[in-house]
Amino acid sequence: MIAPAAIMIFLFYLMPAILTGIFAMTNMSTATGISGGVFQVTQGAVNRLGPDMPELASGIAEPRFVIDEEGLAALEALKLKPGYAAELRGQHIGEVFASRREAERVIKALRDRPSTREVKQISDLFNRSVLNTRFETREALIGNLEKLGFKLKPEEQDKVARETYTGWVWTTDNFKVIGNSPDMAKIFLNTAFYVAVTLMLFNVSYALFLAVTTHYMPPATASIFRAVWLLPRITPVVIYVLMWKWLTWDNGFISMFMGQLGVPPKNYLLDNAYNAWFFVILINGFIGASMGMLVFSSAIKAIPQTHFHASEVDGASRWQQIRYIILPQLRWPILFVTCYQTLSLLASFNEILLSTRGGPGRATEVWSLAAYHTALNNYTGNLEYGLGAALALMLVIIGVILSLIYLRVFRYDTLISKPLIED
Amino acid sequence: MTVRPILKSAALAGVLLTSTAVFASAKDVTISVWSGGSGPNDNYRVDAIEIAADILEREAAIRGEQLNIIVQKTPYSGWEDFKQALTLAAEAKKAPNIVATGHEDIGPWAQAGLIVPAEDYIDLDAWPISDIYPNLMEISSFNGTVYGIPQDAESRPLFFWKPYMKAIGYTDADIEALPTKVEKGEYTLKNVLEDAKKMQDKGLVQAGYGFYPRTNNGPDYWQFYTSFGGVMEEEGKLVFDKAAMKRTYQYFADLVAAGVTKKNHIGMPGDQWWKEVATGKAGIWHGGTWHYARLVNQEGLKDFFDNVQFTLIPAGEGGKANTLTHPLTYLLMAGHDQETTQIAANLVTIASEPRINALHAIKSAHLGISASETKVDLYASNRWASEATERLLPHANAMPNNADFGKYWTIMWKNMEATWTGAKPVDAAVNDAEAELKSTLGGAIVIR
Repeated sequence: MIAPAAIMIFLFYLMPAILTGIFAMTNMSTATGISGGVFQVTQGAVNRLGPDMPELASGIAEPRFVIDEEGLAALEALKLKPGYAAELRGQHIGEVFASRREAERVIKALRDRPSTREVKQISDLFNRSVLNTRFETREALIGNLEKLGFKLKPEEQDKVARETYTGWVWTTDNFKVIGNSPDMAKIFLNTAFYVAVTLMLFNVSYALFLAVTTHYMPPATASIFRAVWLLPRITPVVIYVLMWKWLTWDNGFISMFMGQLGVPPKNYLLDNAYNAWFFVILINGFIGASMGMLVFSSAIKAIPQTHFHASEVDGASRWQQIRYIILPQLRWPILFVTCYQTLSLLASFNEILLSTRGGPGRATEVWSLAAYHTALNNYTGNLEYGLGAALALMLVIIGVILSLIYLRVFRYDTLISKPLIED
Repeated sequence: MTVRPILKSAALAGVLLTSTAVFASAKDVTISVWSGGSGPNDNYRVDAIEIAADILEREAAIRGEQLNIIVQKTPYSGWEDFKQALTLAAEAKKAPNIVATGHEDIGPWAQAGLIVPAEDYIDLDAWPISDIYPNLMEISSFNGTVYGIPQDAESRPLFFWKPYMKAIGYTDADIEALPTKVEKGEYTLKNVLEDAKKMQDKGLVQAGYGFYPRTNNGPDYWQFYTSFGGVMEEEGKLVFDKAAMKRTYQYFADLVAAGVTKKNHIGMPGDQWWKEVATGKAGIWHGGTWHYARLVNQEGLKDFFDNVQFTLIPAGEGGKANTLTHPLTYLLMAGHDQETTQIAANLVTIASEPRINALHAIKSAHLGISASETKVDLYASNRWASEATERLLPHANAMPNNADFGKYWTIMWKNMEATWTGAKPVDAAVNDAEAELKSTLGGAIVIR
């Protein structure tokens, strides 16, 4: 049975984490592509080469098209219409053009009227510069530079190749960028605040409160209450958040209600950072509490009824029952819920994205949302996969560390040691 | 004896079959076209390709070829979803043949090889492409190569609600002269703040509605940077002008401090914004030429010219009045065979003809791409198109096509948002932006 399980684990659990790790060590983005790049001497590359190799930089900074015998021979070898080469040789030999456009105007004007694609094919043959030409391999670039009279030493070749490569490269810069960015520090604190407050107030405390209160209700009533408390969890999240927005918008319910009291309408959700956090935590908390409630309720159900009966005979109050019977026996479920919910809160951003989009002014931007915004959302169509993956990778590491700390704090070893009663 | 007729007819059938096979070498081509930011008024971004397909099929038929083009249209109403879907589709080699998108995508997409140069397939010296405004063709180029064919042009004016301007003391003649005063730099962004404040103090508009900007990130905010003397790119290098950016951030912080713009304005629901602007809840606001179409067609503002005046974005300290044009361009995506891409390119060429392009320009209140388009009757007789073209387009800048511009923009915007909402003081925001630009872009950006 190990093989299918191993395949599942590898494909669906390990692979995403490993890929995140790999992406994180690159500068991959839409501009670099995923599958690799080419070598292109752009104006930007010329600028970068300028300080170290001024001669080369100035020599390759201009496009240059020359109608020469070499090009004509290549044109004849292409076996297009013979008139092309003949006319170029007869009337244009030796002409030099400072741009592709000008060279192509001459080619276009040939009597045999080459098609647009042929014009490109022909003009390429007379290209005597490397500027803006895309070379598939490093050798092709270096070879062309040599043809132009630039004999480069191996380390110079390395530098030229590095500065002209358009694809992604291995780098640890992502982590430097994260480390140096003052915003990332703020986002880190945001995340810690969001996870800690939501977890303590709602996912554990409020869930515990719901579980305990329903425990003391008649079973039928308790079921109804639990079902209602589950509604946020089972409502589709888009609709659930939309209802919160209706509640808090300028034209929403709260504004209408406050309008009756003479308060001018405002957007309560995005009014300021405190409001935004208040609602973000409520939105997440009500969803998150339902899971804790279910786990705690069933754990309380599993406590033998005799414990409660005995305590009542001893005259224990409700509070004493909670303090001395329920809570001690919920240590394992509380550890589980805390641990599980920490991880899910760390990774969850959909409710925040749908409600505040991280606003106002990035006040509610959390780590996972920042990773999403970086890797999958850019106004200029340049998604930064590498940096986004680095952000996600740090989240994975933080999650693992936190889990280890929890196991230590809750003394996991004592929880799974053999029960004394069976000795 | 009976075999021969059978053979004969079989042979005849064979000949017939082969001949029909030759004649019916009907070519079926599917061309997919996607467009971003295409609301209900922007359907001609993709429909123009369909019209072009019809013409190309007829042209082929006249030449004796049978060409069937099936155009698959996918317009996206927003930008973010569209760019996400398109970049991921392209990485997965499932890109459409043609895409109409903002020109600023050309930089990163060309570098990544996601698009092929339009000039490899389209003769730029032939009509109608030769007729397109040279600055638009320039905006569609990257590294000296023309990658896109401009699909539309526009510019982004500042709007004034006339009744409120009158209520704070402007005469009809003053309002009429406002565009000229703005152009000459006599009416500045400082005056905008003052007038917005006056409107609020008089109780004409509610607090926070005096100056009512765009509700989310967009190219518009670069106009203010330009107004305060900023430059986006020089000689292929991005430029971060610290002083100009500081004045820009400060201006929006001042607007909030004066109470004429809401602190939490960014991120408010877009529909609400449109409704409020169309019904005179806001005093002064900015937008694009295409806002005219939405205000009049969808939001029910019938007497637009009676209620609204429009001007360039006024100058601020150290800069000049300006506007920004953010043309969409038709791009040819990589990953298709040359023949199909050639057909897609032919469709783009036909769709750029003045009469077809004017359908989009007028329906969506964008501006035309060529001088001859302004002579098409539909265009020439449209008051908005002709006035906006004349008043705004000569002063229009564009964002640079630079593969790194997106990173610059992201950093510029997040710090702007932070100062606007009061999360960061202006000085800190400018310094943070500088630090992050240095660490992410290094030598690719000039900081001064």
